[in-house]
Amino acid sequence: MTTLAHTDQWSRCHRAARTDGVAPAVTELAVAVLPGLLPCGPAGHAIVSEEIAAGTSRVWADGVTVDRSACAETALGEIDLPGGPVLLQRHRAPGGVNGFAPAQRAAWTLGLVWLRLGLSEELRETAMRYLNGRRTGNSTLLQQQMVKSTVADGLIEHLEVRAVLTGIGPGELPDTVLNHLHAQLTQADRALVKLLGASGYLAGGPGQVARVSELLAEAYCRPEEWL
Amino acid sequence: MTTIRLDDRLLALRGQVREWGADFRTLGLALDRDPELIREHFDLPAVRYLSTMGIPPEYGNVPIPIAGNRFYGTLALERAIIMEELSCADVGMLVASPGPLLAGVLIDLLADEQQKDWFYGRMLESPLWTFFALTEPDRGSDAGALSTTVVPATGDKPALLSGAKRYVGNAARAQLGVVFARTSPGPLGINAVLVESPSPGFHAEALETIGLRGARISAITMQDVEIAPERFLGRHLSPSRRGMWAFVQTFNLLRPGVAAIALGIARAAHEYVITHRSALRRDERDRLDLLARRIDGARRLVHLAAAAVDARTGDGYLASAAKVRAAELAHDATQQACTFFGAGARLEHPVLDKLVRDARGMEFIEGTGNMQKLNLFQGLFTGKLDRDDPFRTAPLAG
Ligand SMILES: Cc1cc2nc3c(=O)[nH]c(=O)nc-3n(C[C@H](O)[C@H](O)[C@H](O)COP(=O)(O)OP(=O)(O)OC[C@H]3O[C@@H](n4cnc5c(N)ncnc54)[C@H](O)[C@@H]3O)c2cc1C
Repeated sequence: MTTLAHTDQWSRCHRAARTDGVAPAVTELAVAVLPGLLPCGPAGHAIVSEEIAAGTSRVWADGVTVDRSACAETALGEIDLPGGPVLLQRHRAPGGVNGFAPAQRAAWTLGLVWLRLGLSEELRETAMRYLNGRRTGNSTLLQQQMVKSTVADGLIEHLEVRAVLTGIGPGELPDTVLNHLHAQLTQADRALVKLLGASGYLAGGPGQVARVSELLAEAYCRPEEWL
Repeated sequence: MTTIRLDDRLLALRGQVREWGADFRTLGLALDRDPELIREHFDLPAVRYLSTMGIPPEYGNVPIPIAGNRFYGTLALERAIIMEELSCADVGMLVASPGPLLAGVLIDLLADEQQKDWFYGRMLESPLWTFFALTEPDRGSDAGALSTTVVPATGDKPALLSGAKRYVGNAARAQLGVVFARTSPGPLGINAVLVESPSPGFHAEALETIGLRGARISAITMQDVEIAPERFLGRHLSPSRRGMWAFVQTFNLLRPGVAAIALGIARAAHEYVITHRSALRRDERDRLDLLARRIDGARRLVHLAAAAVDARTGDGYLASAAKVRAAELAHDATQQACTFFGAGARLEHPVLDKLVRDARGMEFIEGTGNMQKLNLFQGLFTGKLDRDDPFRTAPLAG
């Protein structure tokens, strides 16, 4: 069942993604559902804010918690984004760790879809602002029918994802459904980024946010063949 | 993977360039980190070849013979073959390499003898980067509305070029290039001028990009850059033949090559899976086979599109179809390749991550997908693309 506390959590994370950027939204989600833990995906990958990377001594490896010192830690990179950089890391947990906590995992995985939805909605808004500010002939790019169609397609994906998420609590949607929602968001981002023209190809801009959003899904979702 | 109907000459070209590509593949990731690394590799055969590709033999270009033939890269079909192979090896190295490429095609189309002598002569002296500056901060797809100005010379005052350009490949390190600017409003007021860098008033700065980092796309500002009369391209031609007409024709000629670059990225993704995954499941094999079929289909289209513009420069409609198709394929193929490597594939496989990043840029180079689709529709609607026999003008089809 959806509790009020959860709904609040998702909407805070969703809002942070829209207004503050990737790193603050990841921090918001991690602090809410995995306090004190460094969230890692099924293959040990983490995409986190500096705050989470620096302030956690335990690693959460797709459901099980281990001491960070017991893991082999590798820095894989850092990406600058509006709202602060994200760090890409790998934490190899030792084998044979017990104590899988399904509730935490369910909360994290559901929250991540809300987070990416927020990023994608913000991408749509950014694209609309950009297109409204550019002219072709006597009109703006936003008023071109092909452009309107692409914006509408993106919106339809957002509406459907949101319709599926609304009123849903952690654990109510199986991983296959969550993966599908992620794929829909990736698809929407792909089309929306094109609307930004080459400005969407610059490092540190909205196109980079979309790329990191995709990396989040790739790092934290269980591949279909595992399900 | 085979492409049917390429003759032995072209097959030899493909084989040789594929061999040259091995160096590009080795250096790709390092160049992605540091795009200036290319300066240390001017001696690679592919870089040497690209540095004069497109210069006609009558200006002294003597490329190394391949199976007894010399390929000057003056034909779109030759360029498509070369681009696919080198892009498949590493697209970053390809776009980082010095050479006349975009500007060279325009020169070939528009320049008078003296301008060609000067431009090609400099290119043959030593490897130089060139640039082709059309896009502006406020005008991309609608390039015809560009606002950079070149105020014509009066009395003893030289012509002066002022304005801004954006996303121009290699401009920050180029020694010469072409800039599109207007002398008066309207489509006939557009001119292309040759500009040397450094020049007083000319400034170019590289922009950091997500992918295709070798291209070093740059922002240019120009403030009263002096342009000598002999630097106005096509000064011997009528205004209708030197402005917008010229960049449309140039793009027609280049577009199959751009499509081939996208195709090369798609093929690289496909080959990466084949090389790095063993024991594929049945469904994985099926997906990979489908990808291979899409790559082969797109290649046929690219080659026919190239043959069409080689036969008639105005026939860029097939090339628009090929470019849209190949750019989407590059996107799909690179994304799909990631699904063969489990959770966090891109974090574990830097080459895959780079392929995905590079593929995204293909949407924009030389006109976005929407603009290509509008062009293709125009070709169909006006009957310039033959509805019954769309490959009529492409000699390959015979
Ligand atoms: C790697 C790279 C290399 C490049 N190299 C060069 C170079 O060497 N020289 C150079 O001059 N430029 C270069 N460019 C720029 C490129 O040509 C432009 O990015 C491209 O023309 C699109 O312009 P824009 O980015 O301003 O997008 P915009 O024109 O702002 O387009 C934004 C969106 O609106 C859509 N749109 C625009 N008009 C219409 C319409 N009428 N109908 C429907 N949809 C429309 C577009 O499809 C796009 O989705 C390069 C770009 C990249 C990414």
